[in-house]
Amino acid sequence: MTTNPSIAPIGPGGAGRLAAPRSLLLSKRASRLRRVLALLGHGVLFLIASSSALAVIFIFFFIARDAIPFFRLEGFKEFFTGTAWYPTHEPPVFGALPIFVGSGLVTLGAILVAVPLGVPAAVCLSDVLPFSVRQYVKPVIEMLAAIPSVAFGFFALVIFTPLLQEHGGRVLAGVWWVVATPLVALLVFVLSDVVANWVVGEARHRAVRVLLAVLMAAAGAWLLFDVGGRFAALTISSGTNALNVSIILGLMALPTVVSVSEDALQAVGRELREGAYALGSTRAEVLVRVIIPAAGSGICAAVILGVMRAVGETMVVWMASGNAAQIPQPWYNLLAPVRTLTATIAGDMGEADQSAGSAHYHVLFAMALALLAISFVCNLISEQVIRRSALKNE
Amino acid sequence: MRLGTRKVVDRSFTGLGIFSIALVSLALVILLTPIVVRGIGAVVFRATIEHDRVLMEHFERGNASTFAARNATAIAARAPVYEMLTAYEAQYGVDDFELEELREALQRLLGPAPDQSKPTLARDQFGATRWAQAQEAAHNVLYVQEWDYSDPTQFGVPVDVPRAKRFAGTPLESLFPYVSEHLDEMLQPHWTLYWGFLLDDSLDAHMFGGIWAEILGTLYLTIGAVLFAVPMGIISAIYLVEYAPDHWLIGVLRSCISTLAGVPSIVFGLFGLAFFINTAQVSKYFMAADSTGVSSKSILAGSLTLAILILPVIIRAAEEAIRAVPRTYKEAALSVGAGKWRTILTVMLPAALPGILTGIVISMGRAAGETAPIIFTAAVSVGRPLEVWQTLTQPTPALPWSVYNLCTEHTAADEIRHVQYGMVLTLVVLVLLLNTAAIILRARVSRRLAG
Repeated sequence: MTTNPSIAPIGPGGAGRLAAPRSLLLSKRASRLRRVLALLGHGVLFLIASSSALAVIFIFFFIARDAIPFFRLEGFKEFFTGTAWYPTHEPPVFGALPIFVGSGLVTLGAILVAVPLGVPAAVCLSDVLPFSVRQYVKPVIEMLAAIPSVAFGFFALVIFTPLLQEHGGRVLAGVWWVVATPLVALLVFVLSDVVANWVVGEARHRAVRVLLAVLMAAAGAWLLFDVGGRFAALTISSGTNALNVSIILGLMALPTVVSVSEDALQAVGRELREGAYALGSTRAEVLVRVIIPAAGSGICAAVILGVMRAVGETMVVWMASGNAAQIPQPWYNLLAPVRTLTATIAGDMGEADQSAGSAHYHVLFAMALALLAISFVCNLISEQVIRRSALKNE
Repeated sequence: MRLGTRKVVDRSFTGLGIFSIALVSLALVILLTPIVVRGIGAVVFRATIEHDRVLMEHFERGNASTFAARNATAIAARAPVYEMLTAYEAQYGVDDFELEELREALQRLLGPAPDQSKPTLARDQFGATRWAQAQEAAHNVLYVQEWDYSDPTQFGVPVDVPRAKRFAGTPLESLFPYVSEHLDEMLQPHWTLYWGFLLDDSLDAHMFGGIWAEILGTLYLTIGAVLFAVPMGIISAIYLVEYAPDHWLIGVLRSCISTLAGVPSIVFGLFGLAFFINTAQVSKYFMAADSTGVSSKSILAGSLTLAILILPVIIRAAEEAIRAVPRTYKEAALSVGAGKWRTILTVMLPAALPGILTGIVISMGRAAGETAPIIFTAAVSVGRPLEVWQTLTQPTPALPWSVYNLCTEHTAADEIRHVQYGMVLTLVVLVLLLNTAAIILRARVSRRLAG
């Protein structure tokens, strides 16, 4: 008996012989159904996945929708250049420049705290400390990131403010001594050596070197005492000021700065490190001359993300910045009370009629739109910077 | 530079890094120590008889016989004070400003006098409930603060003047030494562990009682946010890892996710107000038809707002966790004939679960601690603990908002510092516990993936 050769090798047992192909191959219709279903599933998945994009669009739309009436009513000029903020007067005045300046000032202060502390900490975490120690340091940074902002605000208002108000000068002087003493000592040492080399060359004039070192040390000590004394003589009339907020915001932005710049430092390949060590550099030289420049863009991104964190923070500035809508005199005076965008939104939304469309209600949305724009731009820049550095390192 | 200098610079560079880490740790310690120490003081403290009285009268708790014994001693010790007051009134009459002030100070210390009718506010019904408060109140009985302007070049200086001076030669003269000597007997201080701080309702805007309403509100908000955000987050992550084509649209989607992560929290709050409350009016659907129909703050709106806030955190964590599952798992599942969905549901997700859980737990900590998004959407200053079904329509007090509210807007913010510290500590402990859980989970994951 000759049968179809294609099914012959399957062997005996006629029923199974025919059933097997049927279960494996779908009819045209079933296969189409399946493809449609798969496509449908894919579509549903895409829709759910794009919910975050939808959220972003909605946020922009709803904030802008309530912000635009303000600009239509009052125009741009007063909002961005006016220095008088009297939203409840009759007629109201909406000059938001002092508030922008306030936001900028506390952000600048926060960055001045977070970057000098955070970048060395990141370098230390990525290149200096052994793994066993790093294990215990990272949770410290993570704890700092996890503590709710209102707890920071509470600390700033209830503990730090009275401290600054009553012992302001001494607190500042203490901080200066703790922070500056090691730095000045190091600076004195390095400078005296550099100057000595410059004066006497490589020759071993011991007396000259010692003399220079003593001179430099005296200058350093004078600097320490002079600045310390100036700090100690300060009296702070109000503890709720830009300085207080800057320090606390700096601590809050620090974990972001540390973790992003640590990632950037880690991303610099082994080859660069090993090459630099092979040329006889010390670790400090490798880090300062090779690794940190190579990770520069990543560290920039870290700073930008830190700025975003500080600009967007609400509770600390609301509780402890003093909420005075005035430009500090001079502009860098950190001891003056300031008012920021976030605190204005949080504080005034209760007063403004929430459901009716008063100008006061809309101006807060205009501020939110400004915040949103700032964070959007910062985000784009940092993303771009990180992407570029990733490309460069590959 | 000489070699020696280079070496020293190298060492000190290391030192600089360690110094900055030490400074950060120091800052953390400085930040947490007062919060922890004084926060514990909200639960463990020297209570007075008045504290027991609050518990007996408002929460029906406490040992009745001990309380009766203590109360009897206290009343006996207080009796001479009131006798002296009566004697003074008999001699000089009741219309006396100084007497009025003294009576007020005494009421802060001991509660209303026995002959006085019961005040309406709970804060006036009891004396100082904590020994620290009692000592301050006693000081205010014994001394009057006056301003010394004797030096015209300086600001006035506050000076404590003994009140006894004002009553010299009257029957009240001996009251002041009596109060300072018999304070213990009048108030019966004793160490106590007040668990009720966490589990009691508050009484008269946190003057007495606990913070259960706040804790419950925070839990509702957090759990609600997670309920909304987790399914969306995980599905988004699955899509991004397993399905997303290499298309510019996906790049935009990723940008959107990181933009969302960077939006300031107060903007989320405004968005919640503008969208969930004013436009969508989410709570209106659950209100009774005959209610006024004005949509206002509710836990539902707050949870939705918080859900958007934590969505990027969950997406990123889930994506990372799914990516970390070894390829071989997936290939093995596909090779034995499992479909794509089956592979994801039965192989990939279980393997990625600890990582996803880590993300969820961290985002819970984030949601619990956020204040700004709930100011306009869910939080109120005073409220009672809610039932589960009320979460759809009712606003709630919540820990972060109440911390702000009590320390800035409360009329007696200075007197209830212990409540504020207690709340901050509760919040910090809650958040840090969640984060510790996340750290432990993550350590397990990395060990498993490594092993």
